[in-house]
Amino acid sequence: MIRLWPRSLVGQLLLIVAMMLLLAQGVNSFLLYRGAQSQNLIESSTAAVSRIAFGLDRQANDRPGRRGGAMRARRWGQLKYGSESAVTDGMNRLPELEARAGQAFANMGIGFSDIRATFTRNLTADMSGHLIGANRGEWRNNPINRSMGDKRMPPETRGYVIISAQQADGQWVSIASVVRERTPLMIRTLLFQTITIYLLMLIPLILLGRYISRPLKSLTARAHNFQPGDSEDLAEQGPPDTRELIRAFNAMSGRVSSMINEKDVMLGAIGHDLRTPLAALRVRVENVEDDIERERMIAGIEDIDHTLDDILSLARLGRSAEQADPVDIRSLIETIVDEFTDLGHEVHYQRGDKQSALIRETLVRRALRNLIGNAILYGKAADISVEKSGNKLMIHVDDDGPGIADDKIDAMFEPFLRGDASRNRATGGSGLGLTLARAIARDHGGDIILQNREKGGLRATLELPIK
Amino acid sequence: MTHKIHILLVDDEASLREPLAEYLIKQGYKVQQASDASIARSLLNAYDFDITLLDIMMPGEDGLSLCRFVTDKTDIPVIFISAKTEETERIIGLELGADDYITKPFSPRELVARIKVILRRAERGGTKPLGTSGGGYQFSGWTLKSDKRSLIDADGVNVSLSTGEYQMLLALVSRAGKVLNRDQLLDITQGREAHAFDRAVDNQISRLRRKIESDPKNPEIIKTVWGGGYMLAGEVKSL
Repeated sequence: MIRLWPRSLVGQLLLIVAMMLLLAQGVNSFLLYRGAQSQNLIESSTAAVSRIAFGLDRQANDRPGRRGGAMRARRWGQLKYGSESAVTDGMNRLPELEARAGQAFANMGIGFSDIRATFTRNLTADMSGHLIGANRGEWRNNPINRSMGDKRMPPETRGYVIISAQQADGQWVSIASVVRERTPLMIRTLLFQTITIYLLMLIPLILLGRYISRPLKSLTARAHNFQPGDSEDLAEQGPPDTRELIRAFNAMSGRVSSMINEKDVMLGAIGHDLRTPLAALRVRVENVEDDIERERMIAGIEDIDHTLDDILSLARLGRSAEQADPVDIRSLIETIVDEFTDLGHEVHYQRGDKQSALIRETLVRRALRNLIGNAILYGKAADISVEKSGNKLMIHVDDDGPGIADDKIDAMFEPFLRGDASRNRATGGSGLGLTLARAIARDHGGDIILQNREKGGLRATLELPIK
Repeated sequence: MTHKIHILLVDDEASLREPLAEYLIKQGYKVQQASDASIARSLLNAYDFDITLLDIMMPGEDGLSLCRFVTDKTDIPVIFISAKTEETERIIGLELGADDYITKPFSPRELVARIKVILRRAERGGTKPLGTSGGGYQFSGWTLKSDKRSLIDADGVNVSLSTGEYQMLLALVSRAGKVLNRDQLLDITQGREAHAFDRAVDNQISRLRRKIESDPKNPEIIKTVWGGGYMLAGEVKSL
């Protein structure tokens, strides 16, 4: 389905107003059309009324045999006399026209005992000889129509008005008159009107819409890119509602910033206050005589230190002072791989084509180190490969371990959860490794994806966006 | 050696300072303790120290400012003891002229090993490998920046180096055209990382070459010199 509904505020506003205007124009022109139609009826019936009045006036000396009389009769139509009205009982009578006709006759001093008027689309055969305006050539020769440069054919006949009046002696005199269409001219006028109204209404509306939506846009952008510690408030602009919203947003971001600052101060204090006694403990441990016992204590202290490190990094993420730089991914991987091989682990990486990404190197190093560390922990060796797909760079870390049950993969990213519930701390790791790696990846606009390999083992992929 | 090595230990935390001093004394060093910068200053005036161990975070005057005083006024080497691990803070400390840093919690044995390396270097009259190069160097299309300790290629892309690799490259670049033997290179890079001790110089060089040479098998930048040593070839521009 094609989206015709605009998404922006201004777009929707414009569309609604345009639609309502069109509707109003439609109603308006319908009324105009109706008005014009009844105007046509009145004009036609006026001609019929005149013909009747004229005919009665000359009734006495109007000799049907005279040539001039016959000519006139062709142009003006012959009045029909009879004991029956041409407007029969089954016809739809028009009281308004009847009243107008009665008024017109009264003004001319002619009295009728009854007047009937109707509109019909099809003229009965007995009335076809008693018709005014049947000659279409006359419409074109009319000097008014000619002066307008109108080359069109005269409008089609829409129907006929029949006026029938009963004289005092009970005789009916009847005449029909052509009613013509007028619509072609109407549609033009309507189009012109509509366009004019659109221009007059929509241009100020667009300006108004922008006045409203521009501050909203900048507010949206600010909310999207919100960085705690943005000291500069967003300028209050736009209509009062929007200003109030911006003021509230500024106040809120101020509160958020100060909360996060507090958190940072607290974390810094925790880091310092825990590391110092830990360092003291580490020094004192050297006094332990028993070698095995001492090594265990040292391992314990290092474990606490790593957990502390992970917690602090996770909590500080997004507030890193480090800038993003273009970094060569190959040497980044090599540097980490070398760290692991120096410790005697089996990690393979084959340097490929040069590929750089805009990253905070210390953080991405950490994420990658965690993924490789996991691969070594759960498998025996890690294989690292780089793949480029569209605007994504994927660093795969493959291991030959047992993999993870498909329904447990999402849970792996939960903090403090490890693949094997029976594992104790002796296997190392804080349980924050993947959580932290994913947080780092997402901070860069990327992600971490875990999937089981077909040949067995797990593939952890670090995705990073590239330009 | 008749002369006992004299250490100034500055840390506001008695819980760490006292056991550390005990440990160092047990290792055969002479140790003076200071709980803040002003005590440290008066001790510096009163005694001749061979090395200073400085805590960065202290109430009052902090370790960074005291470090600046020590490196400006004396030749005494400084090792930072820091609870923070943010990369940038380590770099600030080293830029101020500290010889090394160690983060809490640390292995006291490693601390002693690092003290020994620094003292041996000082004894030989070796220059400090850090904080002396100004902005950095340009060579063969590469830029080595000392403020961020980064290596940047001709396209402006950062190339990751381990701390050891950075040290070695800096040593070679700052002494371009001179042959450095393995002992000299070991001196410069040792003690920087926990696992740097048994890493062969040749291994480091081959890793460096893999990252910066267009053909690591026929190196154009880091040349092997017959008779034991390496040399950086080509023009070097100081920044």
